[in-house]
Amino acid sequence: MGPEVIIYTFALLVFLVVLGVHIGISLGAASVIGVWLAYGDLDIALSILGSTAYEAIRSDALAVIPLFVLMGEVLSRAGAASDLYRLCDAALKKLPGRLAAATVVGNAAFAAVSGVSIASAATFSRIAYPEMRKLGYDKSYALGVVAGSACLGMLIPPSVLLIIWAILTEGSVGALFIGGIGPGILLATVFIAYNVGAVLLKPSLAPNVAKIANDDAVVEKDTSSKSWAFGGLGVIALILLVLGGIWRGLFTPTEAAGFGAAGGVIIGFLKGMSFRQFLDAVIDAGRTAAPIMFLLIAGSMYARLLAVSGGTGMINEFFDSSGMSPFAILLVMTVIWLLMGMIIDSISIILLTVPIFVPLAVAIGVPEIAFAIYGILIIEAGLLTPPVGLLVYTVKGTVPDKTVTLGEAFKGAAPYWILILFVAVLILAFPAIATWLPSKSF
Amino acid sequence: MTSPVKRVAETIHILSAFWVLVIAGIILVDVFGRHFFNSPFLGAVEIIKNSVVSITFLQLPLAIYSGGMLRTTLLYGAVGPQYQRVLRSLTSVLGFLFFAGVAYSSWAPFLEALAINEYEGEGALRVPTYPVRLLVVLTSIFAAFVYIYLLVLDWMGRLTEDMGGDESSTKGAH
Repeated sequence: MGPEVIIYTFALLVFLVVLGVHIGISLGAASVIGVWLAYGDLDIALSILGSTAYEAIRSDALAVIPLFVLMGEVLSRAGAASDLYRLCDAALKKLPGRLAAATVVGNAAFAAVSGVSIASAATFSRIAYPEMRKLGYDKSYALGVVAGSACLGMLIPPSVLLIIWAILTEGSVGALFIGGIGPGILLATVFIAYNVGAVLLKPSLAPNVAKIANDDAVVEKDTSSKSWAFGGLGVIALILLVLGGIWRGLFTPTEAAGFGAAGGVIIGFLKGMSFRQFLDAVIDAGRTAAPIMFLLIAGSMYARLLAVSGGTGMINEFFDSSGMSPFAILLVMTVIWLLMGMIIDSISIILLTVPIFVPLAVAIGVPEIAFAIYGILIIEAGLLTPPVGLLVYTVKGTVPDKTVTLGEAFKGAAPYWILILFVAVLILAFPAIATWLPSKSF
Repeated sequence: MTSPVKRVAETIHILSAFWVLVIAGIILVDVFGRHFFNSPFLGAVEIIKNSVVSITFLQLPLAIYSGGMLRTTLLYGAVGPQYQRVLRSLTSVLGFLFFAGVAYSSWAPFLEALAINEYEGEGALRVPTYPVRLLVVLTSIFAAFVYIYLLVLDWMGRLTEDMGGDESSTKGAH
């Protein structure tokens, strides 16, 4: 069978994913069947299965995933999320709607170390939302900032999404990390500007601005007084060490991840994490990392299928001969990403689409790093898209407030959705936002 | 009562989880050794490479057992308990076939690696490849077994909350 096998395989894949079959198994099974159809020989398909299982993740560069996940787990057990939140809260005292701004920065930093936006949104739903409500912040406004800021974290290294993207495209993890910094800062600035602007225009969103400014004890102090400052600063120092080390060429990403994991453990113990919590963190890290690594194995099988069946070539040719403008091609990709973001997680979307989209984007002249950042932004925006954006569901499901409706959550997240798309388009228009920093170091 | 399947899955999971810490340690020794004592950790790259594969495969059985594998719940959440069980069974059967396929197709390369004494790395540090290849075979057999085990428990109505499906599994089993 020719390249059209890719169409049947893709249909099968979507079918299995919708049925709720584990995404890795769906990818793997569809790929084996696809290669089988393409060659008409099950033995060839199975031999690719065996060699991919052994070869796909046998790389020291991939150690970054278990190591960074471990760092994130240890730091969360040690209470990093509320530390970051308090630190940002204390630093932003004078800002209107400062708890919202603190949520943006704290959640983004936490999402960056924990690597998964859904987990980060769930954590901040429990920490930041109740605090904002206590001060009379508008419900939708408070919900939106939690959901929106979790997306931001995926641009801030060491994000797992950036790692996976780099590995799939055989690009440099370090360069992509550094490429995420500019857009991350831009998006954070835009988010905070929106928060402040919205409150200035409509003070009822965050009514107690004046009172809060004098009230240091907004966030409950359940641990010793300065422990949170140490924890929060420690996490930020760790992010800076990891990033700075990679940027200045002191570390490879793998080495940085080793230091990150070790630093995380040290900060955790200094903050009084118990040995039991440490054990739980180590075990949970494995539970998070293993399925991601398995997705990478399955994703490489799918990438091999695309290559051996001539599928990638067929898709490129299709777009070539369709006479579509580069703009239209980008639009198609964007819509596909937004739609997929409604049903599956970001990592799976990257595995499914990146092997096809990146060659297309390169062909129409988009710089690779800028395209990666654009893609991650759009995929994360998909997690906010009604009616089934996963992040919004997560926030709604985890806030300790049963009166919250899904409508309120989506309404609150809508401005962030627009802002993310706005920044994404800016990056395509001015790729230097993403490519300038890496060009100074790689 | 903990089933022996769970105990084995947990044991190998914990061992490999701690191995991640060992990797972090090796990296620290390597970097400090290289920068300050001009003596890098020989074979660090080979050890890390092989560890990544080993750790992943050792952690998969527990991830499968405890419902850690990623999937969509779009349809799953919308159907009744009986259909949910059918959907879970489909995952189990495909999961079994997949890992059985990995185990089967990794067996011959393992035998070959053993026979020709395949190794990698240079000079002082040569790492044979057969142990990791064998590990992939064994853990894949176990992963396939876990899928079937979950399937059987599911149809016997004995799937509990900490297993395969999700919180609705117990209800789904009746």
